[in-house]
Amino acid sequence: MPAQTISLFRYLMLGIMSRRLFVLIAILALVAVLAGSFVGELAIINSDAIVSAFVADFLRYSLGLLALLMIASSVAEDFESRQFERLLTMPLARWQYIAAQALVIACLCLMLILPALILVSIYSDLALGLYWAASLWLELFLLGVLGLLAILSLEKIPQAVFFSLAVYLLAKLSAVIILMLDESVRLSDGSVTSRTVEFIFVSMLYVFPDGNTFAQNDVFFENLDLLAALGNQLFSVTIYVLFLLAACLVDFYRKEFNI
Amino acid sequence: MRRGERPLLQLPRPLLIAFAILLLCQLAYHHRAQRQIEAVYQGLTRPLSVASYRGIAMGSEQLLGYLLALRLQLHDNQAGRHFRYSLIDYGILIDWLDRITEISQGTEYPMLLASRVYSSTGDKDRLRQVLGFIERRFDDDPQKHWRRLAEACLLAKHKLGDLELALRFAERLAQQPASVKMPRWARDFHFLLLADLNELEAAIAIIQAMLETDAINDPDEQRFLKEKLSKFQQELFETQQQASE
Repeated sequence: MPAQTISLFRYLMLGIMSRRLFVLIAILALVAVLAGSFVGELAIINSDAIVSAFVADFLRYSLGLLALLMIASSVAEDFESRQFERLLTMPLARWQYIAAQALVIACLCLMLILPALILVSIYSDLALGLYWAASLWLELFLLGVLGLLAILSLEKIPQAVFFSLAVYLLAKLSAVIILMLDESVRLSDGSVTSRTVEFIFVSMLYVFPDGNTFAQNDVFFENLDLLAALGNQLFSVTIYVLFLLAACLVDFYRKEFNI
Repeated sequence: MRRGERPLLQLPRPLLIAFAILLLCQLAYHHRAQRQIEAVYQGLTRPLSVASYRGIAMGSEQLLGYLLALRLQLHDNQAGRHFRYSLIDYGILIDWLDRITEISQGTEYPMLLASRVYSSTGDKDRLRQVLGFIERRFDDDPQKHWRRLAEACLLAKHKLGDLELALRFAERLAQQPASVKMPRWARDFHFLLLADLNELEAAIAIIQAMLETDAINDPDEQRFLKEKLSKFQQELFETQQQASE
């Protein structure tokens, strides 16, 4: 069983690895360096910390989007080329496809964090570079698994990418959205509609990743305990990723393929 | 091989006329838009609440605070032109500096902008607003902000010509506990300003207290204080002589 899963993982990984991916990563790293240098030129003090934090966040969002697109297009291609039907004629369980895809996402994220590790280590120090790389890997892995669930459920790249980004951004912007909803309740004198909308959003947050699942950019400006921050993130991401993988399995086992 | 072209004059006349009119319209519109950009200064908008910025920051509050500070720093450069600080509404500017300080806790940037950049205004009321901000925010972290208050003290004395205000800043510096590490000269402002205000007796008393309590270990500092003490004592003596005559 594990050997089959590894073989499937290698096959899927070959589909993702391409020269285009490396060129894209190199371009993103170059843009990060150029934009970071520009920001650094503007800063009067603390320019090193500002540049490191800026480059780290730039890479976080751009690599996140890249990971999402790569995973969504890889699974969408499997749908289009009727790959699932072929796989199911082989002695492979459905969970093995999900396990192989999870491994692919893990390896892809490992490749994606390399520029972050190098650039952050150069701009700040190795400890921060290692923290950011590990933390970013966890965040990208979570986003990748979220993308996997989205593409398995929705089967179309635009919808899947939009859905994953929506969940990711809603989770990240939940504080400001709750603030707006609170304000809306206050301005409408506690109308039922406003309170219902607020209740729905707050309930939705229970199935969204929380603040601990994301890399902490403030480490570039404050003396935070990096290991403690990473430990908290690892715990949150593990719980959420396991939940997402369970959702992927439920969705994938429910699908019917015409073999 | 280059494709053959018909001479312009052989083209339909209405097309040529329409092209010429549209070209003129484009040039006129561009010229007008350019003049408008050059002439109009876009004022600062009021900042949002701290909670809003924290939400928008998506977990990168410190970075957002610094980026907002950079945006504020570049505000006087618009459309490739540098605008005078007199155009900036310093009330809103101080709101922004306060907001940035609250978003990125522990940052020095807004205090630096206040003491080094926005203090260059020639308007005394605006300078007072900037100095008020520095004084108000000094208590957030005296260890980090003593330089800014020392700069504010100099600005109040030399640029604003308000010795009372300068003395108030100097007194706050001098009153900081020993745990706040700062060079002696920053604490010395207090008695130097007292002397400037002709409060020679108070200045002498402070120096004597400093020398008697063994707070000063550095021989150069001790020598400096002793020199100042003799100078002030001499000045006080001369003043008293003149008064008695």
